Amino acid sequence: MDLKKLWQTTLSELELQISRPNFLTWLKNSQLIEKNKEGQIIIGLANNFAKEWVENKYHKIILGILRSLDETIKGIKYTVITGPTKEPALKIRNTQHEKINKSHPSFPELKIDPETNLHPRYNFNSFVVGSSNELAYAAASAIIKDVGKKYNPFFIYGGVGLGKTHLIQAIGNEIKQLYKNRIKTKYVPSEKFVNEVIWGIRNKRMDDIKSRYRNIDVLIIDDIQFIGGKERSEEEFFHTFNALYENNKQIIISSDRPPAAIPTLEERLRSRFLGGMIADIGLPDYEMRVAIIKTKLQEQNSALSDDLCGLIANKVRKNVREIEGILNKITFYRENKSDDLTPAIIEEIIDSSIQQSFKNISPNQVIKVVAEFFETTPNELTARSRRKEIVEPRQIAIFLLRDILSLSYPNIGEKMGKRDHSTAIHSYEKISEEINKNRDLNQKVILIKELIYKQ
Amino acid sequence: MKLIILRSNLKEGLNKIDKIVGENLNLPILKNFLIETTDNKIKLSATNLELAITNFISGKIIEEGGLTIPINIFSSIINNLQTERINLEVKNNNLIIKTDNYQAKIQGIKKEEFPIIPKINNEQNFLEISTSILKQSLCSIISAAQMSNIRPELNGVFFDFQINSLKLAATDSFRLSEKTISNNQFKTQINKQLKTIIPLKTIQEVIRIIKENDDKILIYFDANQVLFKNNDLEIISRLISGDFPDYQAIIPESTETEIIINREQLINAVKLTSTFIDRLSEIKISIKEKTKNIEVYSTGQGVGENQYLIPAKIKGPSLEIVFNWRFLLDGLKNLNSEDVVIGLNGNNKPAVIKSPDDISYFYIIMPIKSS
Repeated sequence: MDLKKLWQTTLSELELQISRPNFLTWLKNSQLIEKNKEGQIIIGLANNFAKEWVENKYHKIILGILRSLDETIKGIKYTVITGPTKEPALKIRNTQHEKINKSHPSFPELKIDPETNLHPRYNFNSFVVGSSNELAYAAASAIIKDVGKKYNPFFIYGGVGLGKTHLIQAIGNEIKQLYKNRIKTKYVPSEKFVNEVIWGIRNKRMDDIKSRYRNIDVLIIDDIQFIGGKERSEEEFFHTFNALYENNKQIIISSDRPPAAIPTLEERLRSRFLGGMIADIGLPDYEMRVAIIKTKLQEQNSALSDDLCGLIANKVRKNVREIEGILNKITFYRENKSDDLTPAIIEEIIDSSIQQSFKNISPNQVIKVVAEFFETTPNELTARSRRKEIVEPRQIAIFLLRDILSLSYPNIGEKMGKRDHSTAIHSYEKISEEINKNRDLNQKVILIKELIYKQ
Repeated sequence: MKLIILRSNLKEGLNKIDKIVGENLNLPILKNFLIETTDNKIKLSATNLELAITNFISGKIIEEGGLTIPINIFSSIINNLQTERINLEVKNNNLIIKTDNYQAKIQGIKKEEFPIIPKINNEQNFLEISTSILKQSLCSIISAAQMSNIRPELNGVFFDFQINSLKLAATDSFRLSEKTISNNQFKTQINKQLKTIIPLKTIQEVIRIIKENDDKILIYFDANQVLFKNNDLEIISRLISGDFPDYQAIIPESTETEIIINREQLINAVKLTSTFIDRLSEIKISIKEKTKNIEVYSTGQGVGENQYLIPAKIKGPSLEIVFNWRFLLDGLKNLNSEDVVIGLNGNNKPAVIKSPDDISYFYIIMPIKSS
């Protein structure tokens, strides 16, 4: 007899022997959880009161019934079922809460699943696949089918707002949906990891952190570049990484650049990352941008004509998140001002949102970001050195000053250590040409631009 | 059982337990409370099977024993009696109440039928804290929680024990409050992190019952229950299973616009302008860069409109933001400093309300989308 049936039979006999109120109060939602080899049975009850009551008052009757059904049963243990509370035991009357609920926005972060830390918003239905991310997508699909075995670790990199987080969270959500609780998934932004390590050090509870991370089946770490240079976190992550890796647990890592380009990352970690699958997410092409726009509009239950979609796709090339922002503004405009969207209005919306991103950037900031990216100083960048490691960054800085801020060449020359304007022209032209040929350089320039926009 | 009790003692004891006794259609005995003698003390207990409150009162015990009796009948008798000395006696499942000039007989149910109140298994796992600190802390955060059918894990107060501090938090998804109690304000042997959600109803009872004084209260944490205990009181409750949301992500790291403003004045402004507020409960606050006032504005359709200017120190860009006025008021009332700091990040991101010199508390509120 299986456990469920055994308990059903027991309950129906028990019902005859005790009063109905008692039966309903104490044995509702009870379960026979387990029977072990020694003939011990574990019965789960709804709450502590039920446990005390059943244990003290009904133990003999229950044991008697169970034994008459199954002679091998020797004893019973009682426990309280802790699972997600399905319904509050006390009825809640319709509170103010429900009334407010409709019009009042709530904290968006509260939708995050506290157990896995994943946001349900990120799924594969809303992930648009195109030439710039198809490799990453294919690898992700393979990982979901064969967790921990195929591509491990899976390292994914790409610029800001291109869908890294979306993809890695979607992997997590998909795994959770497919394997339910059999596979324990956890998504951790690396900043959070660092904070936990700091907590562990402060309170001398590093073991807590260790054990917390080592029984995860799928560990998803976002923006790993932040961990670079934080020695203790790197070390802790290294050990966690090894422990999980050796046990065939899946590790998924994202970063804004390839492992080799994270300067502060320890060598041993870098080599670990290189040992798995590395995929990049690049800038989406025109068709893909249109597809993204259409998907987003569909999510918002709105639509735009093909012309207008094309217009947005043409104007916003670099950042998918920016597209999202612009679409939100368009929706807002429609709801509040007018339904009649002309290309001119859309252009105005786009310009105003993109403009904002460079509005507050000064030339010095650009130089500083470039210097930091190449791990040098603004002074060195503007000095006279003709070393190769400095020349290229210097040219990139000049290129960006022209490209982003549209400074005049003489002004750029002045800013870059009193150089001649012809040097600035040469540098600008050289980089403009190179980025079309040299993929590496292009990637670097894109990354630096994003860092500048973030300022 | 035979007792002589002072009316005031009995009344006070009943007050502590009577709020949790409610209708339970399945088990009529839950309308009763248990009065019994144990170790030379008189013990009153009541439960609704979610939480149980036990409370010891003093009195003269002539004969040991116990009985359960309907609390509403008993309470109304005790409340209306004039005499101070009350004799209680149990005879054949009846409770006889006797004073100089009054006598009553209440039918009871024998005490063996009363639910057994669970015990804590791990007696080492406790935290000792002064009742006034606990009460004040709980009071400051509880208004951010509301009972809801949608998310059971929000129907409680989050106790996040971090070894070096104890954080209490509550949210109803529209606002969030957090209070940090540092480890010099409590004593404990617990040496590992502990996260647990205590039902709102339990916390309301704790706040209602415990007195604000220097006495200590002990909080015991078990796998699925919690016990608040001092000399004459025990409140044991189930915990809410599930994980409290990781609310750290909600706390803004920085705020663009910041205003410092007199708290009383703002409370007054919110109350006053709310006169015109209709069902939507919207109140608008306008902040203009480089001015010395903020404007609180509200309007009601077909009723009218009004605005209130309050002096404030303003830092950062101009902004117009709309709140539910009750939520805003709740947050302001939870503080007790003279001034409050309100930090904002645009008109659709959460706003933070805190005191300028107390970092242990904050209240975050989600604005209403302005139209």
